[in-house]
Amino acid sequence: MKNWLLFIVLVCGAPALADEAFIPNQSSDDLSVIDLATMTERARITIGGKPAGVAVSRDGARVFVTSPEGPYVSVVDAGARKVLKRIPVAGGPLGVAAAPDGRRIYVAEAYGRDLLEIGLESGSTRRVEVGASPSGVVATPDGRYVLVTVRDEDRLAIVDAVSFTVAAQVKVGAHPFGMTFDAASGRAYAADVLSDDVSVVDVEARKLIGAAPVGKRPYGVALARGRAFAANQYAESVSVFDAQSLAPLSTIRAGEYPESLAASRDGAIIYLTNWFSNELWAINVEKLEIVGKTATGDGPRAFGDFVRATQ
Amino acid sequence: MKRRAALRILRAAVLLALTPGTALAHGAAPQKAFESIEIAASPERVWAIVGDFQDALWLPGVVEIKGGGGSKPDEAWRRLIFATGGAIDERLVQCDASEMSLRYMIEHGDFDILPVGNLSATLKVLPGPSGARVEWKARFYRAFPGGNPPERFTDEVAVDAVSAYFKAGLARLRARAEGP
Repeated sequence: MKNWLLFIVLVCGAPALADEAFIPNQSSDDLSVIDLATMTERARITIGGKPAGVAVSRDGARVFVTSPEGPYVSVVDAGARKVLKRIPVAGGPLGVAAAPDGRRIYVAEAYGRDLLEIGLESGSTRRVEVGASPSGVVATPDGRYVLVTVRDEDRLAIVDAVSFTVAAQVKVGAHPFGMTFDAASGRAYAADVLSDDVSVVDVEARKLIGAAPVGKRPYGVALARGRAFAANQYAESVSVFDAQSLAPLSTIRAGEYPESLAASRDGAIIYLTNWFSNELWAINVEKLEIVGKTATGDGPRAFGDFVRATQ
Repeated sequence: MKRRAALRILRAAVLLALTPGTALAHGAAPQKAFESIEIAASPERVWAIVGDFQDALWLPGVVEIKGGGGSKPDEAWRRLIFATGGAIDERLVQCDASEMSLRYMIEHGDFDILPVGNLSATLKVLPGPSGARVEWKARFYRAFPGGNPPERFTDEVAVDAVSAYFKAGLARLRARAEGP
């Protein structure tokens, strides 16, 4: 990813990366497209089915949005701001991730026990049982693993992406929900909603290596420039800690019921949705200050990595 | 077959709800309720009622309260006993007297009183044109944890119940704060 960015900057001489946020608004049943350079909403796309989860293809061309009450996954043409198709997914689709090869997506069935793989062209599916209420999903950039937080069983499932079988189940904190993966260190970070911490798992070693205490009811977690950010719903704050040492760095006051976080592609900004107050906030990663705010639709969940690079 | 599966899930949900110490599984779409009221009394006078976690007789339908921990976050708890015979256990999550704001959550609910799961709410007292303004906001899920909920446990039923409860509560709070 870093090499790829460097390539773009060198070849195109782009002064700044233009990022967009695709925010599923669960209560207003739509998707806000927000230009992050200006923090303004550029489009609103009707989705339906109480959209919650989101993922962006590696090339930025497609956005995948889950609608647990649909129940379906919408495939969105990011540039044209258009829904291309709806893929029915029976068991309450929630977390979603795009495979690095761009040919498939992975969907957690939150009302069930399975992780689903869907071929985007073929429409063929594979499923694997991971446990009760699979929630957050991340595909590792090397294409080897799909990671799933198994919320009601307090575990992180490591799924072998090739054989599509469970390679390991790692015990984490209570009710893991949002999750992210750092390719450089091979660590997964999962927000444990009920134990108020972030579990850190070494994916290759299949081992829990630590837990960072955060505020009350953490939902989302994201990484930028060696720092980890957790959105605490009840504390209405964002906890910041060192991603390597797990030492606490700061606590930033958030809006009402902060929920999901994602990093800008250059890692300079962390974006935060405030679910109750219907906002997207921008946090400067170095200074740990709020540097921008804008309105979203009603109930921005944005469960997943919701930032898309447009160039 | 489908109905039998749905009934099984429903029974499991009810069992979970009735099991102490068990976090209730819930639906995928959290719901909002937001009610407010203007009160002809000072914010301090209103906060003296709202900010005392053990004083909840202004809540609609509540006939008796048991509790402990005063108004200390995490420690303070209360059992609201309703005229209908049901009970709801709540815990104080946060309390900030300087901001006249508190947050509590339902630890053990009663679907006959409020058909919701995982409810947390904030109560905030602000200055208002007639004296004080009180805002009551909640986040919660419908009581039914899976897809295709039965009619009595839909999102709409949950939102209506919480909104009605908040409205009635705020009206009683106003009557008390404006009274002698």
